[in-house]
Amino acid sequence: MATVEEVAEAYADWQVRCNANTRLAKMLRGWDRTVHLVASDTGDGFTAGVADSVLSDLVTGLVGVPDLVVTATSEEFADLFWGDLNPSEKYISGEIVLAGSAEDVMRLDAMSMVVFLDQ
Amino acid sequence: MTAADRTTEVVVVGAGYSGLSAARRLVASGLDVVVLEARDRVGGRVWTERTPGGALVDHGGQWLGPTQDQLSALADECGVATFPTYAAGANVEVRAGQRFTFTGLVPTSDRDAAAETVAALLELDLLAQEVSPSTPWDHPDAAVLDGETLAGWVGRTTASPTVRDLMSTAVLAVFGCEPAELSLLYALSYAHSGGSLSALVRTAGGAQESRFRGGAQQMAVQMAAEMGDRVVLSAPVTAIRTTSGGVTVTAARTGPDRGQDPWTVAARRVVVATPPAVQARIAFDPPLPGARDQLALHAPMGSVTKVHVVYDRPFWRDQGLSGQVVADAGALRATFDDSPEDGAHGVIVGFIAGRTDRQLESRGPAGRAALVVEELTFAFGPAATSPLEVVEQRWSAEPFTRGGPVACFGPGVLTGCGTTLRDPVGPVHWAGTETAEAWTGYIDGAISSGLRAATEVAAALASA
Repeated sequence: MATVEEVAEAYADWQVRCNANTRLAKMLRGWDRTVHLVASDTGDGFTAGVADSVLSDLVTGLVGVPDLVVTATSEEFADLFWGDLNPSEKYISGEIVLAGSAEDVMRLDAMSMVVFLDQ
Repeated sequence: MTAADRTTEVVVVGAGYSGLSAARRLVASGLDVVVLEARDRVGGRVWTERTPGGALVDHGGQWLGPTQDQLSALADECGVATFPTYAAGANVEVRAGQRFTFTGLVPTSDRDAAAETVAALLELDLLAQEVSPSTPWDHPDAAVLDGETLAGWVGRTTASPTVRDLMSTAVLAVFGCEPAELSLLYALSYAHSGGSLSALVRTAGGAQESRFRGGAQQMAVQMAAEMGDRVVLSAPVTAIRTTSGGVTVTAARTGPDRGQDPWTVAARRVVVATPPAVQARIAFDPPLPGARDQLALHAPMGSVTKVHVVYDRPFWRDQGLSGQVVADAGALRATFDDSPEDGAHGVIVGFIAGRTDRQLESRGPAGRAALVVEELTFAFGPAATSPLEVVEQRWSAEPFTRGGPVACFGPGVLTGCGTTLRDPVGPVHWAGTETAEAWTGYIDGAISSGLRAATEVAAALASA
């Protein structure tokens, strides 16, 4: 189990890597979305966003109306953000659940995979 | 003119999933139907057979995936259960003569190429979302998208040979043809019809997610059994003539008790439920409108041989392997675990597709089997050297399918004559998975296309 602080710390690391990734900048162009992250084990909620190809800071709590909702355990979130877990594999196996439009799900799946592979 | 041998209201040409679904709906709406099937079996591109050694294999279409609601409903109705395709563990990647393992969708030995592949797949899938699966020719840039091949797009998008090879492997597995043979517009429309290209190549969460206990042909066999002697086997249709009252359909009935006499069925309407390439061999009188005829002539099937390699047990599972291989070269570019549900023996299924399928034609079954076993041994180790059986099905050698799994439209065809794909020509209606608006090329699409054609025919006859 990961605490709110541990998830936030891992996210901050991931955010830096995302925002430094040129391949990702191209993939995110024109995609402005609000994403809710729900930790299924702790019940903690987080809100993140992407606008102008830049990933925003993580906010604790579920803020605003999400375009996408990602449900995983707190540990999986931390591992994903640290780059220790293949996000596509977890999504395919159903351990991480992405809810949103088909296009948004595709984009989030692809962007998380690219960041994972490019580390 | 001699009287027809049999008179009915609707003739259905082809007893695959499409034709049988059409016939069943027509019968349910109270119409008299005769189904003429060229082969001595029903199911078309779906064929389950017990091998000489006793393994049950699906030589053709075999999987069920999420959102394939027509197929799922039919299986439920027929009481046919499904089970998940075995996909636990790591997949094997063969690249540049080396062996690696990976998890997830995209091989990761070259991480940079893998990331580029993911980005390219996303770009394709986003483009696909803009292309209507039922009317791709209506896309604002249809002429541009239909003016190049998928290979052209991949070539412009990436300089990495690894990415190109991965895209080729995916296309060969899905279409049975090379990216250079496929219109970009068609590929996008086809991908969208099943959700996305990623969904088409996935096992869990995709088109290969589940299998049918007892094989995929059972529902076709049940539908045919329900229809009794309305289904006539070994009756290849050779001609369709439009008459004042409808149509006269001529079939060359073969078989020991039948001789070679042509046999005619008079009807008010006909549903042609074959691949376009097979339809192209039927003589129409009067000839079909030019654009419809051209469409069928420009609809070559993919080239595919489906190979089942049977072992005494699924030994790769002990090594933590899923049975899935993705290879950049060789006979088998993609494989899956196709063992029975209880794992009583081990089966790997693989596809020899596209150019390789044509190149290996002259090798013969034994030559291809030797090659396949050699490749599986490289992927899974020495335990793969001694299979109990290698069973292949060469779809290109089937005169009543002419390849597989699906028609592969090249550039310019959909925008040139695609609009004629489903439009009835007088009393002649079109079905078959190539005409489907969802899951084109899949069993699910075959079913929905048959149902659509039946609805069309019933409405036409009701208003006549």
